[in-house]
Amino acid sequence: MSESETRVHFRVIRYIREAGLKLHLENVPVATASTIYHKFFREYQLKDYDPFLIGVTCLSLACKVEEQNVRLRDIINVCYRTLHKNKAPLEIGDTFWQLRESVTQCELYLLRALKFKVMFDHPHKYLCHYLKAVSDWLEPRQWEEVPVGRTSWALLCDCYHSDLVLDHQPQHLAVSVLYLALQCHGLELPVHKHAAVKWYQVFSNSISLEIIQTIITKIMAAYDVENQVPR
Amino acid sequence: MPKEEPTYPFCPDETKYEKLAKIGQGTFGEVFKARDKKGKIVVAMKKVLMENEKEGFPITALREIKILQVLKNDNIVNLLEICRAKATPHNRYRSTVYLVFEFCEHDLAGLLSNPQVRFNLAEIKKVMQQLLNGLYYIHSNKILHRDMKAANILITKTGKLKLADFGLARAFSDKLNRYTNRVVTLWYRPPELLLGERNYGPAIDLWGAGCIMAEMWTRSPIMQGNTEQHQLTLISQLCGSITADIWAGVDKLDLFNKMELPKGQKRKVKERLHGYVKDQYALDLLDKLLTLDPSRRVNSDDALNHDFFWVEPLPQDLNHMLSRHNKSMFEYLAPPRRRGPIQQQQGAPGAGPSGGPGGQGGPGGVRPAGHNPDQHFERIF
Repeated sequence: MSESETRVHFRVIRYIREAGLKLHLENVPVATASTIYHKFFREYQLKDYDPFLIGVTCLSLACKVEEQNVRLRDIINVCYRTLHKNKAPLEIGDTFWQLRESVTQCELYLLRALKFKVMFDHPHKYLCHYLKAVSDWLEPRQWEEVPVGRTSWALLCDCYHSDLVLDHQPQHLAVSVLYLALQCHGLELPVHKHAAVKWYQVFSNSISLEIIQTIITKIMAAYDVENQVPR
Repeated sequence: MPKEEPTYPFCPDETKYEKLAKIGQGTFGEVFKARDKKGKIVVAMKKVLMENEKEGFPITALREIKILQVLKNDNIVNLLEICRAKATPHNRYRSTVYLVFEFCEHDLAGLLSNPQVRFNLAEIKKVMQQLLNGLYYIHSNKILHRDMKAANILITKTGKLKLADFGLARAFSDKLNRYTNRVVTLWYRPPELLLGERNYGPAIDLWGAGCIMAEMWTRSPIMQGNTEQHQLTLISQLCGSITADIWAGVDKLDLFNKMELPKGQKRKVKERLHGYVKDQYALDLLDKLLTLDPSRRVNSDDALNHDFFWVEPLPQDLNHMLSRHNKSMFEYLAPPRRRGPIQQQQGAPGAGPSGGPGGQGGPGGVRPAGHNPDQHFERIF
């Protein structure tokens, strides 16, 4: 993928997330929308599509897949406002109906292109379990003072800016953001240095430090892209 | 969008199959028997109705696909693939989607409406065992079927039973929920739904299993109400009055005070069915399935452990019995079944064929006496 394409995808995912936030969506549906988006552009050429239309459609499809009861009307209005910050809000009229028709058509297109495989096993639930374990290992005071939970969760959500989420097991992604969060806060798990089995191997026996480092490198690269994209 | 017709590497075109006959009307579309032009395997194709979709691809269809992609079990219908049809002026440039299933020769309603088909006790046990096994599997996967009825129970020519039509199915959780209660065909709808419960669970499917089990002997649905009110009356007449004494908390349900509930009715499940069902174990299991209080209704695991399945005669394969019949039997193709075998009560409020399917609507409406291929069902969340 060329650098400019990477930047386009970064912007569209940021757009999906902004719209998702305004629609009060939970993190998992937004993650599903982003995954559908990345999966689609793994198979199809960016030059053939309007990535923002694909983005809106991913959002609408993800809401259905994740049982978030959001009306298409609201998705269209919010996405329009998010994309056109300086224009007046969308009125009911030709433009609205055309946009709506585009999204419903595009939804079918996406479903067919992805063979109706739009359900994903996300890292979020694994991370919750791991965090619960970590909170039991740490001193209560340490756990309260250092926001490991929030940091790792934020890192996880940010992962979805990049298509790295397609290439790794959800357990590995969850362990890696946790590892990175602990490093950011300079926190070490008790007796970590002396343990024969490393803490991350407890969570996933297929993980290695190399995999963690590969994932973290990709996450850092995604943050680099952020600096190259205009706000 | 690209100008040329794109190729879909993953989604075959429906022309891959040759349609042979229409065999049914599902909750959201027609069902066809079809043959793979190359491999010659016979399949069932279910068309997803999309003409009236303002919200895009129907969430009910997406749920069915999602659920069937995950559920893989001998007693659950197997989704082979999903096909598309090109957009043409004929379908207002909205391409159609088909779900392609393995083909099953019969459905239970079709079999029961044919007097030539006789089930002995051991064969009925096999049907119920497979049905409960399917329910056990979907419930352990946190899925509610929500449309149990004889027409949705498919049986292959070798006697394998498959639960089908997950068009109303959805995932459930153990926390407090607010699902729609406008599900399940009226005749198979449990009392909690009729009383407006929205936080229901797997027990709703077991009520339907009880109705179907009784039907194995009576040969037609045991409670054929015309309206929700009428259905509740029929249920009370069979299972006894619905009161807070036998069902703690029923008086808190939304419609408990709005519906007219017959008072002083005695529970007569075993007595009334005794004319059809001679086996004591069968009567006992029926009694447990048709329990009014959903929290005390037997679950699929306990039902499978019931003595009914473990005393002689043991469940027996249907293979032999079905081999005598070489014609497909589907409810859709069968003549309408005789109505009301065990409901002879006179003067029940709202009773009688003149009542019509008034006030029903929704996918749970009264099953029409004939079929109506143009019938549209209300789409619901």
